[in-house]
Amino acid sequence: MATKAINNSKHLKKYEKEMNMCIRCAYCFEECPVIKETQWDTDGARGKIIMSYGLLTGELEPSQYIADKLFRCTFCRDCLDKCPSNINILEIISSARADLVKAGYASDTHKHVIKNIKDTGNIYGDTEVISQEREGKIPLFIGCQYLGRPNKTKKYIKILEKLGIDPVVENEMCCGYPMEVLGFREDFEKHKEKFQKSFPYKDAITLCPTCTVFLREGHQIDAKHVLQVMLEKLPKANLDMKVTYHDPCDFSRGLKIIEEPRKILEKLGVEIVEMKNNKENSRCCGGGGGILMTDQDLSGDIARKRIKEAIETGVDILVTSCPTCEQVLKKAAQEISEDEGKSISVRNIEDIIWRGLKKSAEIS
Amino acid sequence: MKIDVKKLKEIVGEENVRDNIADLYVYSSDASVHSSKPDAIVRPSSIKEVQEILRYANKNKIPVIPRGAGSGMSGQTVPLSGGIILDMKRMDKIIEIRPEDVICKVEPGVINDELNRVLQPYGFFFPPTPSSGRICTIGGMIGTNASGVRSVKYGATRDAVIGMKVVLANGDLVTFGSNTKVDSSGYQLAKLMVGSEGTLGIVVEATLLISPLPKYRSMGVANFSALEDAGRMISETIAAGITPSMLELMDNVAITAVNNAQNLGLPDVDAIVIFECNGMLKEAVEYDMGRVKKVCKKNNGTGIRVSNDPDEMTRIYEGRKKLFPSLSKYREGLFTTALADDMAVPMSKIADTVHEIHVIAKRNNVVMSAYGHCGAGLIHTKILMDTNKKSQWEDAKHAVKEVYDYVHKVGGTTSGEHGIGFSKGPAFKQEKKDSLEMMKAIKKALDPNNILNPHKLMDSPDDWLTATPLRYQVTK
Ligand SMILES: Cc1cc2nc3c(=O)[nH]c(=O)nc-3n(C[C@H](O)[C@H](O)[C@H](O)COP(=O)(O)OP(=O)(O)OC[C@H]3O[C@@H](n4cnc5c(N)ncnc54)[C@H](O)[C@@H]3O)c2cc1C
Ligand code: SF4
Ligand code: SF4
Repeated sequence: MATKAINNSKHLKKYEKEMNMCIRCAYCFEECPVIKETQWDTDGARGKIIMSYGLLTGELEPSQYIADKLFRCTFCRDCLDKCPSNINILEIISSARADLVKAGYASDTHKHVIKNIKDTGNIYGDTEVISQEREGKIPLFIGCQYLGRPNKTKKYIKILEKLGIDPVVENEMCCGYPMEVLGFREDFEKHKEKFQKSFPYKDAITLCPTCTVFLREGHQIDAKHVLQVMLEKLPKANLDMKVTYHDPCDFSRGLKIIEEPRKILEKLGVEIVEMKNNKENSRCCGGGGGILMTDQDLSGDIARKRIKEAIETGVDILVTSCPTCEQVLKKAAQEISEDEGKSISVRNIEDIIWRGLKKSAEIS
Repeated sequence: MKIDVKKLKEIVGEENVRDNIADLYVYSSDASVHSSKPDAIVRPSSIKEVQEILRYANKNKIPVIPRGAGSGMSGQTVPLSGGIILDMKRMDKIIEIRPEDVICKVEPGVINDELNRVLQPYGFFFPPTPSSGRICTIGGMIGTNASGVRSVKYGATRDAVIGMKVVLANGDLVTFGSNTKVDSSGYQLAKLMVGSEGTLGIVVEATLLISPLPKYRSMGVANFSALEDAGRMISETIAAGITPSMLELMDNVAITAVNNAQNLGLPDVDAIVIFECNGMLKEAVEYDMGRVKKVCKKNNGTGIRVSNDPDEMTRIYEGRKKLFPSLSKYREGLFTTALADDMAVPMSKIADTVHEIHVIAKRNNVVMSAYGHCGAGLIHTKILMDTNKKSQWEDAKHAVKEVYDYVHKVGGTTSGEHGIGFSKGPAFKQEKKDSLEMMKAIKKALDPNNILNPHKLMDSPDDWLTATPLRYQVTK
């Protein structure tokens, strides 16, 4: 009987037992957006777990090839829902990434983003991208994606003001999620302290779905997304629109914020025509997990599939509630419009809320 | 023989061949305990490509191992002596659905549940229903003669496969079987291919019988404080001429594991039996359910609960559905392994066999659970053990042997649905000793160079434990 040596994979070591519990059933292939595109076993969660196991046992030597494969994951969480053994797949993938980064296999793009966060506090590496500080009562965490889209942020803050929610905005810095997801765990440990000094709160409201998850999981802050907070306070309006709604993965499978955006849209007089795969079964936009930075073709293929599903509903507006989903889906919609002549416009939910509020008699 | 990767790329395209160590490692295992690397993975998309690959492999005597989702539990897709893994997932077209003939034709990479999604609007389904149906391919189901919870009523894959196109080892394309349910025209070669584990040819198209979707269904559950009562209830139900569409047993180890893993609060009894009847007439389904209930009561079944509410039925079935992976939650430090996992015994021997399995497990310092499609005589067991420990593998080896010795003694068979691969090779060879030479002759006639999935079934190594490296770390 062959016996195997355990390699010194610091981060993966913690998951040795968990990996032994993976029964290698491949149930995680069922809806994985990456394996659906490529159909290579290596690209499904099982393949990633097997490679991680190989790295741990020393049967596989770290390599750029393996790193590229382990970074081909959108962190859409679908495999977590499908796994009958409740394996913590994403923890294993990010631990493998951390070991690979430590072994020198980080991509230049990822290194650049991490350097930006370390140098300037945001992913853009631009000291001009800062939040407009604001005094108020409830801490609001804006997050890099919204900081880079100041008009959207202003709109959201105005909406909150009109609803009587008085947000505090600090001169905030990135929550550090990119460090964790891209495998820069040691950098995150150092960053964590700085972050917590800059944002010294136990509760917060947030604009970005991913930051909401990470404030909770990475910083133990009781974060609520603004959509959860504003649902009750929103007045009714009659926008008389028909749209389809794309659930960001961190909402549908992560935080289970599924009904709130729908109820908000309905309250504003927006009829939702659901896509074939919706709510918990919503399909990924292809923008998460760092894939957008390193594998744009794959990300685009996944996004185009989602846009095609949206077009099948027959409506001409797709609404989502995540700036990354919006960006990725917008690009895919444009490509499909150019290639196939079928079009759908992609909007983020704050645009619709803003229009609803303007139309609502109670506010105007 | 070194594989000419360039040649393979010419056949299927650059992007459909891989020989990086990471890919080889990923394709070195399936859901079994085994692991052994191929030399290349090739993904054909057409019959012509399969033919060309086989012509090349046959000429150069390179092993070819067809693979679907790689969810097999006995190591069927693990390549003992390297070679080419033929990943069939790209051949995934549903070629035609002919409700008027009650058949459909599919490529081998079609996934079972996907086929059922497409059949549903026609009012039909493909009956074998393996638990792994969400990911397993028709080619893989043919390879192992898969079955499932509904096999008690509808039979296994072999019963539903009536014809196929096969690429032989030399690259020739042949058609077996017919488009008809009955076929008395000589040797039934299509049926021979089912369960042949990729050792006789590559299935490139299959003609399948489909069944009308039942309009009504009702599910029930009963608890038994003695295993023998549950066993008797199962065999009496079938003997009474009732045709349930599901008749599943869970023993106490299985119940405890599911409770630990899923917190379902199932009663701590010796056994639970889950039953289902379906059909086109509500009255007929209710009548059958009434009869099953009576058999339960007669055999001291308690807590009998019956429902036709879909949510309640899902709840009843939840524990059984998640059973296999839950087994690793039975006790801290024990992991579930796919060993001795799907024997079938005559119906009247179910209770005795389950009882004996626990005696054997205890004697060998491992834990074994017993559950499965007992209405079809099928018992699933898994061995729960500390997979890091060398001595536990030796324990498991003894337990596996003793279980099969018992199963054969009571007239049972080594595998009911998962197939042989490596893990069950020794027991299979013992059970089929009279026909091994005949099987070898059939193999030689169809595959004289022995390139198709070699070292499986009758050619499997004598010791499953040393047949390949294990996929687990054994450090203690
Ligand atoms: C959690 C879990 C639950 C399961 N439940 C069940 C169950 O309820 N019932 C059941 O029967 N099985 C079950 N299985 C076992 C397994 O899923 C089945 O054997 C399934 O049919 C295998 O399909 P696959 O596509 O994964 O085939 P693979 O494992 O890839 O291959 C299986 C065999 O078929 C051969 N093969 C594949 N494609 C072809 C082809 N085109 N031509 C010729 N040969 C081919 C392979 O060489 C191999 O010998 C389960 C497995 C798991 C992990
Ligand atoms: S998180 Fe999504 S993309 Fe990543 S392995 Fe799981 S299902 Fe696939
Ligand atoms: S679904 Fe879970 S147990 Fe099954 S192969 Fe994937 S990670 Fe492993």
